[in-house]
Amino acid sequence: MFLKLFCSGFSMMRQFALSSFPDPEAAESYSRSIRAEVLERLPELLEEFEKKAISRGVKVIWARDAAEANNIILDIARQKGVQYVTKGKSMITEEIGLNEHLIKNGVDVYETDLGEVITQQLGLPPFHLVGPAINVPPEKISDIFLKNGILKEPTTDPVALGKAARMYLREKFRTQEMGIVGVNMAVAETGSFINVENEGNIRMNKSSPKTLVAIMSLEKLVPTLADAIHMTRILIRNCTGQKMTSYVSFDTGPKKPDELDGPEDVYVVILDNGRSEIYKDLKVRDILKCIRCGACMNTCPVYARIGGYPYGFTYTGPMGQAINPLLWGIENTTDLYRACTLCGSCRKTCPAGVDHPFLFLEYRSREIRKKNAKGNRTLLSRLENTIAAISSFGMRQGRAWILGVRCVRPLLNFLSKDGYIRDIPFGVQGWFGCRDLTAMPDKTFHERWKDLQNEPVPLADTAKKDVI
Amino acid sequence: MSMQAREEILGRLKSVRKNTPAARPAKPVLSEINLDKEQLLQRFTSELNAQTGAVYQAKDKEDAVRILSEIASAEGLKSILATSGHIYGVDIRAFGSQNNISVSTVQDFSDRNAFRELAFAVDAGITSADFAVAETGTLGVIFYKDQPRLVSIAPPVHIAIVPVDKLYPVYENVIEQVFKDTNKIPSQFCFITGPSSTTDIKGVHFKGMHGPVKIFVIFIMTGGIGHENSDGPGKTMVR
Repeated sequence: MFLKLFCSGFSMMRQFALSSFPDPEAAESYSRSIRAEVLERLPELLEEFEKKAISRGVKVIWARDAAEANNIILDIARQKGVQYVTKGKSMITEEIGLNEHLIKNGVDVYETDLGEVITQQLGLPPFHLVGPAINVPPEKISDIFLKNGILKEPTTDPVALGKAARMYLREKFRTQEMGIVGVNMAVAETGSFINVENEGNIRMNKSSPKTLVAIMSLEKLVPTLADAIHMTRILIRNCTGQKMTSYVSFDTGPKKPDELDGPEDVYVVILDNGRSEIYKDLKVRDILKCIRCGACMNTCPVYARIGGYPYGFTYTGPMGQAINPLLWGIENTTDLYRACTLCGSCRKTCPAGVDHPFLFLEYRSREIRKKNAKGNRTLLSRLENTIAAISSFGMRQGRAWILGVRCVRPLLNFLSKDGYIRDIPFGVQGWFGCRDLTAMPDKTFHERWKDLQNEPVPLADTAKKDVI
Repeated sequence: MSMQAREEILGRLKSVRKNTPAARPAKPVLSEINLDKEQLLQRFTSELNAQTGAVYQAKDKEDAVRILSEIASAEGLKSILATSGHIYGVDIRAFGSQNNISVSTVQDFSDRNAFRELAFAVDAGITSADFAVAETGTLGVIFYKDQPRLVSIAPPVHIAIVPVDKLYPVYENVIEQVFKDTNKIPSQFCFITGPSSTTDIKGVHFKGMHGPVKIFVIFIMTGGIGHENSDGPGKTMVR
């Protein structure tokens, strides 16, 4: 129930926030055109961003994959001799498992976004792109905060729990030497990177320590500052249903020598992790338009019922179903792109112009084509193909279809028990693993219709006044 | 290693045939650009009020000191960190001595750690704001030597002073000015809209997550848009 309310509430807030545009459709159409242009110009925009950022004193480092990115950040932490790092919420660091890597190698990591603090303490994956712990009951948060010394007295008041986390993390912010943040947008025109947030933890991470590492996946570019402003408006409305978040910060290089705070060293790690291969795949590369607003999750009827955990990956909901198969392999993520009704709500909602259902169909098609490729054929795939060929023939020949149905019905009903078919032989146990088929009626609809024509039409019961 | 990675990644990206990007549709219009000065101030106030921020209109610099004193009294401020002894002519030290409040300014510090310690210890930070944006009741702050970042994020109360002629309709008006001179792009620029907040536990919204719990904006109306008859502080405040 909470999940349904949460998703529908967010969708309503989003609609309300979008209505603040004089023409919401024009605004979204413009944001889609920006993302489409970014994709076409991606290599040149990356080069321009890199050039401008370096000219401002930023150290730009490219990473091919998760392991490389993790080692780069670990090396920076070791070089700076820090005992711990604090982190702003960043899905890309979840994708590469940065926390685990740093902790394993002796560098403590403190998440600073409240939702991430909770998921880190409980050892849970993110439930939602925007609210990673939005589902966690306050009782559970209270217990873990008490256990870890963040809270002194038990409470289920969300505000009291939040304030306890505030006090706990202020101490970390006050003494931190290295901060790690994600990037919402990188501006090619100026070499700036932008972070959008409400809590102020990212601003703390960008203000208090001497070293700042910003990690971005390579598609996070926008061509100009004007585009960044428009995308910020769109991102915030679609992400949290607000018109503006508490803070939108633009960083262009490290602090100047005479400034009292801010990072002396700024590193921007540009991560590929499979995206340049996705970019080469013209049919599916539109997923790189995604701006991680999470609006597709809030509108998805499947997500609204199951939440984030069953997806089993960092990225959940429709955007996760669309990107995970490309990151982790279509053959390893079958359930993701098949667990979709193809209702198209995500596509209609997406402010970046991603056509999720098209991608799901493409993945399904690729999976089948791979299974049917020479050398991969199994007995089951041959059987499926034969059944599909027979069905296809039958559907094109009316008489053959009727004949086929007449033959198949008694055959299926032979396998039924108590009105249900619970299994049939020849390897379709997978389908019956979690569902039953009701037994076929004795007659088809057409047969019943034919019989009805021969029956007398029942007269209205005149004794009942409400019967017309 | 990074150079090799760079070449590999860019090589793959560049190997794809590039199409000319489709022409963009017309840029969406923003209704705020049609607001007159009076409406801009109203819009800024109502938007920031909606975020629990309080907006004051000070007739002049002396009036601003009086407003600061009212805020300090209501919030029980004992110590403040200001970006300067005079912010847009408002005498912050005089305000401190009048109200028995310990005032530190950025200029008192040369040591980064000592400054940071104090930023996390004081009751409030008083800063200037370089811009105000009516669109969403937003402040625009350029960070530089005399405007360090922590003053507006570490203390639990943030008070910003801004001349009313720095109020603009939309973000674009501000961004153009901040980034116009490529030799003077600040290391950080920030839009601030209300206090820090979160909804991360069960969607319950509250102000004051990591940054300020409260924010106060004082417009200096001198030479401004004619709000001399303002009823004074608290008129538009949301509590």
